[in-house]
Amino acid sequence: MDVKRKVDIIRVNPDEWTGGTPAEKAPDPDLGHDLIAAARYTSADFMQKEWDHIWSKVWLLGGRSDDIKEPGDYICTEIGKESILIVRQHDGSVKGFYNVCLHRGNKLRPEGLGNAEEFRCMYHHWAYDLDGQITKIPDLDTFPQGGPTCGRIPEVKVAEWGSFVWFTLNPDPEPLEDYLDPIPQHLAPYHFERMAWTRDITVEWDCNWKASIDAFNESYHVQGIHPQLKWYLDDINIQIDCYERHSRYLIPFATVSPRVVLPSAIPPAIAEIMIKAGMDPADYDGRVSDIRRDVQKFMRANGKARGKDYSELNDDQLTDDYHYLIFPNVTLNTHADDLMLFRQRPHPTDPDKMFYDIWMFELVPEGEEWPERPPHRLFKHGDKSIGQVLDQDAFNLPTVQKGMHSSAFQGLWLSDQELRIRHFHRVISDYIYGHNGPGEGDI
Amino acid sequence: MDLGLSGKKALVIGGARGIGFAVAELLAREGCDVAITARSEDSVKEAVANLRKYGTNVIGSPVNVMKAEEYKAWLTDIIEQLGGCDVLVPITSAGGGVGSEKYWTRAFEVDVMGPVRAAEAVLPGMTERGSGSIVLIATTSAGEAMGGPQAYNAMKASLVTWGKQMALTHGKDGIRVNVVSPGPVEFEGGNWDMIKGTMEKFYNSLIRQQPTGRFGTPEEIARAIVFLASPAANWCNGSHLVVDGGFTNRTHF
Repeated sequence: MDVKRKVDIIRVNPDEWTGGTPAEKAPDPDLGHDLIAAARYTSADFMQKEWDHIWSKVWLLGGRSDDIKEPGDYICTEIGKESILIVRQHDGSVKGFYNVCLHRGNKLRPEGLGNAEEFRCMYHHWAYDLDGQITKIPDLDTFPQGGPTCGRIPEVKVAEWGSFVWFTLNPDPEPLEDYLDPIPQHLAPYHFERMAWTRDITVEWDCNWKASIDAFNESYHVQGIHPQLKWYLDDINIQIDCYERHSRYLIPFATVSPRVVLPSAIPPAIAEIMIKAGMDPADYDGRVSDIRRDVQKFMRANGKARGKDYSELNDDQLTDDYHYLIFPNVTLNTHADDLMLFRQRPHPTDPDKMFYDIWMFELVPEGEEWPERPPHRLFKHGDKSIGQVLDQDAFNLPTVQKGMHSSAFQGLWLSDQELRIRHFHRVISDYIYGHNGPGEGDI
Repeated sequence: MDLGLSGKKALVIGGARGIGFAVAELLAREGCDVAITARSEDSVKEAVANLRKYGTNVIGSPVNVMKAEEYKAWLTDIIEQLGGCDVLVPITSAGGGVGSEKYWTRAFEVDVMGPVRAAEAVLPGMTERGSGSIVLIATTSAGEAMGGPQAYNAMKASLVTWGKQMALTHGKDGIRVNVVSPGPVEFEGGNWDMIKGTMEKFYNSLIRQQPTGRFGTPEEIARAIVFLASPAANWCNGSHLVVDGGFTNRTHF
C-alpha cells in the first residue's frame, strides 16, 4: 500500500474485553475476485428482483421509537412503491399497516410524523383505528357488497430494537432479533436510547441505492475524495468483519493516516475531537501519534463527571468509528458520543435514483435537558450542503452512476480493502438466487 | 565563497525536521560539528544518523524545552559534549493556536524562553573566546497578519526586538546576533503540508500571494540562516532578514 510510515495501532484485546461489543476479528470469507456486474446498478429487471426477494422480505428500519411515545403517534415511511404507517397503540405496543385507504386507494397520511386519534381518509372519510381496523364507512348501506371483508388494512409486522422501530412486508418473517444477529449484541453498549436527534435530512441522489452503500463500505476512497481525513483517521489499519448478512469495519479516529508524514502540530480536526472530549489541545504535551490513546484515557477518567456513561464501551470505541452495515440499507457510524446513521432507499421506479436519509443523534449527558427534535428536511442533491465529507461523497455518486451505464464498464473491479462490498453483493445474491448462487445468464 | 564554518561547533535547538534539520545538515556539510535536539528520541536518533554522513561529529538527545530546569541542564551537558558552541540556531517552536490562554504560555516557554535560555547557556563561552554567532528565527507572521491574532505571531515578534538588543550588547565581545524571518515553508510533515491536505482553499489563497506560485523550502531558508551564522557574514550584526520569496507586502526602508 502507498504509505509513508508503519503505524502500530493500539487496539483493545478482545480476550480482555468480554460482555461488551465483541472486538475480535471475524475470519475473512473467501468471496473470490470476480467482477460485480454493473447491471446490478442499472437494470430495471434486477431492481424488480431486489423488490421481490429483498425489500419485501427483510426487516427494514422505519424510524425512532421516541418519535412515537404517545398512543396515536405515528411514523409514515416509504419503501419503494409502498407507504407504511407505524403507530403507537393504546397499550404501548407498536403496530403497522399499509398507508392506503381500501376504498379508492388514497394514501391516508403524507410521509412524516404525526399524531392521530383515528386515520380518516380525506377523500370520502372512511376511517380506521390506530391498528388499521375499519371503524367507519359513510353510507355503508350504499355498498350492497358490504365493507371489505377482512375489516382492516393489511398488517405490516413491526418490532422495536435499539431505540428504533423496524418493519417488514414479509407476512411470515423471522423474529427481528434473529434477523439482526449479531448486531444487537454489538450495538447495545452504545445505548442509542440516550441519544437525541440532531439532524433528520433526506436527499434525493442520482444514483442506485447500492452505490451509496458502497461509498460507505470501504476506506479506500479516503485517499481519493476525502484527502483531508488523512489527518483525522487511519485508513490503512482497519479491521473488516463480515458476518452472515451484516458487516462492519473498525476505523481508528483521532490519529494520522500512515499515508502522510506525522505532523508535529495537532491537526485541526483532531484538536476538535480533543475539545469535544473535554481536553485542551493547547495543554497537550504528547506527540500527535499519542493523542488517540490519551483521548481514550481522558474520556474513561472524566466521562462520568460530564454525565456520560461509557462503562459498557471498550477504549477503542471511545475514539474510533465502529462502522456497521445492517443489511440491506442501514449504515451506522457508531461513536461513544454520537451516532451518524444513513438509510439508503431505492427509488420506487428508477434504478438511477435513490433516497439518502441522514439521521444523526448525540448522547445527552445525564441530567441535561433533551434538545428539541429538528424538523425533517428534504432536498435534491446539490441544493444544499450536507457537510464537507458527505458533500464529497454526494458529488461523486452521480458520475459513478452514469459510468455504470457505459458499454466499456463491465463491473466493479474490487480490492481486498473493499471486501465488504463483495460481501454485500454475496448477501444480495443469496437472497435473490438462493444459496446455489446465480444461474446461467443471472447477474 | 568560503563560509568559514569548517571546524566550528554548532548547536541547533529543534534540528530533527523541517528548517531546523536543513540548517543542521548545511552546517554539517560545511564542516561543523553539530548538536541537535527534538521532543522525541526516535526523531533525534534518525536525524543524527542522517547528519553523520558528512563526516563531522554529530550528537543529539531529546529534551522538552517547556521544562526549564531539565532544558537548562541539557544545554550545559550538550555544550560540554560538543566541546563548546560557536554557532547557535534555536528554532524550536510551539506553533500556532487560537483560543486557549495556554497557547500564550507555550509560545512564551518554547518560542521565547527556548532561545533565551539557549543564548544564556552559550554566551559565557562565546564571550570568553571573543567570537560567536546566534541566529534567531522569527516569522513573516510577526510583521503581517496571518491566521488571526495569536500568541505565536506576537511572541515571535519579540525575538526581533530582543535579537537587536543582544546584538548591540554583545557586539563588543565579537558575538553577532541576527534574525531571520521565513515566510511560509512547505515540507512533508510540516504545517503547510497538512494545511494543503486539510484546508485546500486557504492554502491555495496563500499560494496565489506568492509571486512564484509556491512556498519556500527548508533548504532555501537554511541557506540564509547558515550564511548569517557563518564568519562570511561577519559585518552582519543586528540585522533582520526576511526570506519569503516576496510573500510579504511591506517595503523595508
